[in-house]
Amino acid sequence: MNPWPRQARILGICWRAAVTGEMEYRFNFLANFALSMFWMLWAAAGASVYFRFTGTVAGWTQPEVLVVIGLFFALNGLRQALLQPNLERMTEYVRRGTLDFLLTKPFDAQLLVSLRHLKVNNLLDPVLGLTLTVIGVALSGRGVSAAALASFLLLLACAVLLMYALSVVLMSLAVVLVAGEELGRVSFAFVELSRFPVEMYRNPAQAVLTVVPVAFLTTYPAAALLGRLDAYLLLLAPAVAAGAVVLATLLWRRSLRSYAGASA
Amino acid sequence: MRDVLPAYPSLVRSATLVAATYRGRVVLSLLTAFFPLLTMAVWLTVVAEGGPPDGWTTDDFLSYYAAATLLWNLTGDRVVWQWDADMRSGDLSVRLLRPVHPFHQYATSDLGQRLVFLVVLVPALVLAAWLVPGLNYPADPLRLAAVAAALVLAYAVSLLMASTFALIGFWSTQTTNGWLLWWGLGSFASGWVAPLALMPDWLRTAGLVLPFRTTMGFPVELLMGRLDAHQTAYGFAVGLGWLAAFALLYRVAWRFGVRRYQAVAG
Repeated sequence: MNPWPRQARILGICWRAAVTGEMEYRFNFLANFALSMFWMLWAAAGASVYFRFTGTVAGWTQPEVLVVIGLFFALNGLRQALLQPNLERMTEYVRRGTLDFLLTKPFDAQLLVSLRHLKVNNLLDPVLGLTLTVIGVALSGRGVSAAALASFLLLLACAVLLMYALSVVLMSLAVVLVAGEELGRVSFAFVELSRFPVEMYRNPAQAVLTVVPVAFLTTYPAAALLGRLDAYLLLLAPAVAAGAVVLATLLWRRSLRSYAGASA
Repeated sequence: MRDVLPAYPSLVRSATLVAATYRGRVVLSLLTAFFPLLTMAVWLTVVAEGGPPDGWTTDDFLSYYAAATLLWNLTGDRVVWQWDADMRSGDLSVRLLRPVHPFHQYATSDLGQRLVFLVVLVPALVLAAWLVPGLNYPADPLRLAAVAAALVLAYAVSLLMASTFALIGFWSTQTTNGWLLWWGLGSFASGWVAPLALMPDWLRTAGLVLPFRTTMGFPVELLMGRLDAHQTAYGFAVGLGWLAAFALLYRVAWRFGVRRYQAVAG
């Protein structure tokens, strides 16, 4: 396998090319940015309906829910920018036999299929989402300690890793199922479930979402930022994230063994 | 229209068969079919903690969102993406050559796919209404007939509204973005974000005259038995009015738009 810095540099070049290419369509970029902004306001306004009738839902006040919605929006943007465009192409790779060709390239195949493409339209969503998170924290009137910020960053990194692991799992399934659109729905549903803190859904849904690990996407990072995270999660989250990445990688290798090629 | 109708059964049937062939895909698609139940879960928490908001009990939310799930899967808005893709790729040229107007090609293809979902969802809903004691739909034959008519109207308005929007593609490349904006705004007035009864007064009033309630809130409220004869007649009048309005808009937009079509590729 090639050394990591070289792989990172090559991915960087691919992404820069994607940005340059799509920025030619400036109006399209701006229109998509405006739509992103709209969806974020939509999510915030939609959640406000619950708070017409109550001050807190499952212990979360409205500003605190905004923190979660902001994180949801950031991760969902990342899903649309990175996960979705690559997953969409995966089906075509298999159907047309392009995968044979990709596997022969002197580059780690897993990175290549999962991170090669980038959809620029949603690239600013994480910035928008984190802005809402900051606004939510400010409105909640809580201070953020250095320790809370550090644990938040750690849990956010774990959330991103979990999403990456999911992406690799879906790529592996795509080799077998060849159903990109429907697998895209799985990732959509997974991230969509993290729109609200998992405590807001009642049991048994809440228990399921903690196991599935939707809670690790937004609920726990938000709790860390608000300074009320159970300390054991600081150890559990990295373990879950690392375990997910390892399992996903194993699954990817296994699916490649069953892949018979379609080009020749 | 009259000369196209005979082609409908076979076109719909072939779309159904295509959709049903990929069974794994149907199962995966069902994952997102139950999304309204998530919103329901949050409402149930609100009820459990603070009591029924505006008198809406747990049973009301169960009945509302179970029915909303059916409507959530009975929209025709996928045709927007289909039109958009075909206009971009130039595949619309091929469709223009066929003896059936593209509107009916997209409509039958979408209807065929919807039917596959209904075959799964309707029995599930009937079973749930029978098994879950909280699900209460007053089942007199007259109301059920009205509900059936309201479901057809919901799909028809949704399909025509989406198709009208799709024609913006003759003038702009932002069709899908425009549609998402329209749908997003409409979701507050349709009963999708929350039952209209729980919305602020101004929004509820707006919802009564806008087209969105026809596609979700109206059939659901009708099924729940929350509408009297007068309100029911009003709901049908608004829905039929919008159906006619979108049919007219569609015709006008098509007449002017198709002249601009340049068959980008193909």
